Amino acid sequence: MTALVSGEFWAFVGVVAGIYTILTLGLQLEFGFTGLLNFGHVGFMAIGAYTMAILVAKEGLSMWLAAPAAVAVSGAAGLLLGLPSLRLRADYFAIVTIAFSEIVRYVATNENALTGGDQGTIALGKVGVAAQYNGQWTRFQTWVGDRLHIGSKDVTMLVIVWAAAIVLLALTWLAVRTPWGRVLRAIREDEDAAASLGKNVLAYKLQVLVLGSALAGVAGLFYAWQFSFFSPGDFQPLLTFFAWMILILGGLGRVWAVPVGAAVFGFVFAGTRFLDFAPLSSFDSAERAYIRLIVIGLVIIGLVVFRPQGLLGKRSEMVLE
Amino acid sequence: MSSQLEVREVARAFGGVAAVDGATFDVEAGSITGLIGPNGAGKSTLFNCITGYVRTDSGSVLFDGQRVDRSAPHRIARRGLVRTFQTPRTLTRMTVRENVLVATPGHPGERLGGRGRRAEREADARARELLALVGLDAHADALAGTLSGGQRKLLDLVRALQTRPRLLLLDEPMAGVSPTLRVELLRHILELRARDGITLLIVEHDLDFVMNASDRVVVLNNGRVIAEGTPDEVRGDERVVDAYLGTHHG
Repeated sequence: MTALVSGEFWAFVGVVAGIYTILTLGLQLEFGFTGLLNFGHVGFMAIGAYTMAILVAKEGLSMWLAAPAAVAVSGAAGLLLGLPSLRLRADYFAIVTIAFSEIVRYVATNENALTGGDQGTIALGKVGVAAQYNGQWTRFQTWVGDRLHIGSKDVTMLVIVWAAAIVLLALTWLAVRTPWGRVLRAIREDEDAAASLGKNVLAYKLQVLVLGSALAGVAGLFYAWQFSFFSPGDFQPLLTFFAWMILILGGLGRVWAVPVGAAVFGFVFAGTRFLDFAPLSSFDSAERAYIRLIVIGLVIIGLVVFRPQGLLGKRSEMVLE
Repeated sequence: MSSQLEVREVARAFGGVAAVDGATFDVEAGSITGLIGPNGAGKSTLFNCITGYVRTDSGSVLFDGQRVDRSAPHRIARRGLVRTFQTPRTLTRMTVRENVLVATPGHPGERLGGRGRRAEREADARARELLALVGLDAHADALAGTLSGGQRKLLDLVRALQTRPRLLLLDEPMAGVSPTLRVELLRHILELRARDGITLLIVEHDLDFVMNASDRVVVLNNGRVIAEGTPDEVRGDERVVDAYLGTHHG
């Protein structure tokens, strides 16, 4: 139970919630505002993380160049996926995206020379040498920690991730309040109607998929930096669905609902590991790990029944046809 | 007057069944043209062909002398050939005002990072004016999903007008609109033509309405134009009576 009061532990939970916030913000823009059903969001996160790690560890590029390049590659992947598939009906598009994210993961697993394969980023370098991609990041993190007089690494990371998350949330919030955002919502409501008013629906959807994918790429960067090592197994489709849970928890079509959903999700997800009292203590810890999935499932079911609009959504919007 | 819209031998079949089968007619600039015909005559398909929502199998559609039958719907709309839908396509989770504002043409604020403050003010002024015209101004800030069927029909019309159309295609504007509102709607439509010089092509089941409002009437049956002329000419046309009542009347 000591971990329950440990600041370090909750800082770690907060970092993960911050990364999820950035990841889910992309989905909010895509689905919450534009109505794009993307079930392969994690694929773009993987592309961001891998691009940065490969550019730094293999090509020796500065992290400060590799990071924006990785975000750009994630966005470009969104464009490439969107060009042929965004003309499809929403449900077919959803199938294409989930296939895409699995293709990304399988490529990462099998292209050993490029990605390190199954062994993950540790195998990015020469045989027998453990590759590193986060030396510059660790120095930056230490520098920030010193400047802010924060001793803990996790707390420093918490500050950096949430600073980035808040900037991205604010930018998204500003963008969706413009006439540009109004067109997105019109497309979400009825894309035929939007086209009848002269709106280039495909162009807007492409823009949104590029931006949403770039946000997933940013989440991938922080994921890579936080864990110092990753492998294809880190980018299972489950991660996409965690982001969807956060989106539904927080509420659709509301930018600031994303951090709320992510915080609740992070709290429940991490908090359930303290359920080690009787009768739950009769399960071992590995079995108890599954309890959190049950709890999250119950929370979602309860939400759908009692608060379908999410924590921050407007009920009045849910009943309109 | 010259032809603003030329429909030439347009054909479209669905699974071997011809919905539109070589329809040809013109719409004169500044006119109100009624497009009528019995159920299944192909009116809606023809409408969809003209506005780019359905590809034509053959034939051509010319707007201002330029072919539009291979253009995407949004490109056709941008040229000023704008449609409404049979069932209103209300953007329900947006306000009534937003429904109209989103139709503003060439709004620089609709580009990502574009500056559109002035355009937005102008758009808002026009939206207010149009909403007042059809008596929806009191509902401007309500979610459009709370409007009644008839009000949604009016909102669709107003939204189409916000695009500053030159030729407006109305698909059954009177369907689901109460009789009192119908009179008002007709008045608005006539006002609009007088004020902005908009050309109108109207598909409508309500024959009284079409005969009252139209300068010219085009009658469609089995996907082909069977008669064309002034309301009086069409009314007296044997083929039209046959199409509506069947050939074995009288």
